[in-house]
Amino acid sequence: MTRPRRDPRAERAAIRVPDRDGARPRYDRSARRPGGGRPRRDPRAERAGQRVAGPLRLRYDLGQVAPAEGPVRAEPAQRTAAPTILTVEAPDFLVVAVPDMAGGRLSAHDRQVLGAARILAGREGGVAVLAVGAGAGYGSAGADRLISLDDDPDAYDPAGRAARIAATLAALKPRHVLFPETLDGGDLARRVAVRMREPLFGNAEGLSPTGLIRPARGRSIEQRAAPGLLATIAPEAVAEYAGPPREARLLPVEIDASMRGAQEITQEILSAIRIPADPATVPLGLAEFVAAAGNGVTDLDTFRRLVAVLRATPGASRVLCDAGLMPRQTQVGASGTVLAATCYLALGISGAPQHLQGVAGCEHVVAVNTDLHAAMIERAGLAIVQDAQLIMPALLRLLGQEAGDPGDAA
Amino acid sequence: MKIAILLSAGRHPVSGAAVLPRLEAQAIRLAAGLGQHIGLHAGPEAAVVAEALGQGLAHIQHAALPEEADPVPALATCLAALAPDLVLAGRRGQGGAETGIVPYAVADRLGYPLIPDIIAAAPGEEAGTLHLDQSLGRGARRRVTIRGPVVATVHPDAPASFAYAYGQARRGVIEPVVGALAPHPAPVPAVEERPYRRRPKLVKGAPAGSSAAERLKAATGEAGPASSGRLLVRPDPDEAAREILAHLRRIGVLAAPRDPR
Repeated sequence: MTRPRRDPRAERAAIRVPDRDGARPRYDRSARRPGGGRPRRDPRAERAGQRVAGPLRLRYDLGQVAPAEGPVRAEPAQRTAAPTILTVEAPDFLVVAVPDMAGGRLSAHDRQVLGAARILAGREGGVAVLAVGAGAGYGSAGADRLISLDDDPDAYDPAGRAARIAATLAALKPRHVLFPETLDGGDLARRVAVRMREPLFGNAEGLSPTGLIRPARGRSIEQRAAPGLLATIAPEAVAEYAGPPREARLLPVEIDASMRGAQEITQEILSAIRIPADPATVPLGLAEFVAAAGNGVTDLDTFRRLVAVLRATPGASRVLCDAGLMPRQTQVGASGTVLAATCYLALGISGAPQHLQGVAGCEHVVAVNTDLHAAMIERAGLAIVQDAQLIMPALLRLLGQEAGDPGDAA
Repeated sequence: MKIAILLSAGRHPVSGAAVLPRLEAQAIRLAAGLGQHIGLHAGPEAAVVAEALGQGLAHIQHAALPEEADPVPALATCLAALAPDLVLAGRRGQGGAETGIVPYAVADRLGYPLIPDIIAAAPGEEAGTLHLDQSLGRGARRRVTIRGPVVATVHPDAPASFAYAYGQARRGVIEPVVGALAPHPAPVPAVEERPYRRRPKLVKGAPAGSSAAERLKAATGEAGPASSGRLLVRPDPDEAAREILAHLRRIGVLAAPRDPR
């Protein structure tokens, strides 16, 4: 019985509003009672907080929950300050991530591998990224140390690179080494595993500090094991590192004199030439850049010329394929091809739901359509409400001018 | 040119029935355009690779090994005796552990270079050289010219396999390897096995601790660059064309003009 005894009369007297006309007593009950308990709601203030500014009619954003009472506090000033860089001065152990660095940049998959390394390193360990050539953004991806591998990033010598990585790892003695399970990364991981005579845990889809999980036997079973030295991480399996940036300090590695033989190059490879994909013949599902025509395009000759000049892969909507104007294998959508393109240029396509399903995986969408309210216009990163029949010759003209060929001006 | 194709005992991913892995059937097709080819299998039973005869292989060598034995030493011994110019294998097994390490271990033991993920092979201009086309994903390739002998793994983008032919399957021969191969026990990985459980895919771009509506937006692509999209209503066509080209160049799918004027 230690609760203080309430005095309702005194409480009421404290919140009494000084009466203006003396007709009846009025009380201000919006203030929170000092005795604690559940805060009292003020529905009118909440409603006013949900109000969206606009001149025409009252609009409320009901998804937003306004603070129940009192004035809105200003944001603390620390939120805007630059995030401090986390440093690990003397890590107990190292977890090495070997990113692909395709095009000299960290891909999303590389960041996921660094995120996985961060999970395995925990609080005591440090993440070291073993990268070929220069790059940026290692710290924000979660790397504490950076080991720069002295290697030509453009030369094709996977065996030599695996030997150099194995020599670096032998000097560094990390606890775990992670690779991405891509064409290049998976190849490198297997070469390193064979060279170091260490087992490789391939294609890990689940990861925690105590265990890795991979599918086996055609995904009928999964295998779980404690993290060993070498593992590859499947795409989209582990989240990227989302914490404050780390320092990615350069860590010099002294390679053993006995490992100097690792500087060898594969003599058998006489030449390696990269042949870029031909956009005209690449399958639609693999294409990087797709330009598609819909019912708003009637001049298909211009469309084909535009596709060739843009070096895009041609696509089409169901309407054009049904009409026999475009071949069936160019159809984009649920009953055609589901794209994995970086960019999709939709000319005269309104965007039926079945068509948008085929475009869902595209990173960027550019739409040209006469209808302002078309679904494709809503989906697009750059939407142009204009007739595609007018835009296509304008694009051809502009591209022709850029190529310095006035004869191409149509 | 002499080509050896490594054959494995595959399992169908759905039914679990014994089947020739698709990549190895594609390897047979690649080898058929190059010259004399022979299959090689190390394992307890020869019947599991009999399907390869119907896919176009006329001759298979079978090295009998117990179930738990490591196939790599036996394969390396057989290949050293065969002395092929090209060794083809699938990039991963099918129905087993699916680690994809066997071709690398074989190449390491023989001292051959390894070229992964090829989709085409042709003899080079010089004697003893090969042109191997490697898949880099998204239709791009790398043409590697290499002096044999070489181990290569086959990518799924290689040409589809031949149709199964019953007559060929009847005519083909599976021949046991003469001379006893000492079975080496395979290293047993310390893994715990349990039924496969699907894991949710990560939703790209969804902020941590977000609401279901935000996750749905991220999943359907409405939260990405599309949500903050630019809208031009009834622009001049030339103005619109300039905007489109500038946008495409910013994304990086269109090359910059060669001669800007």
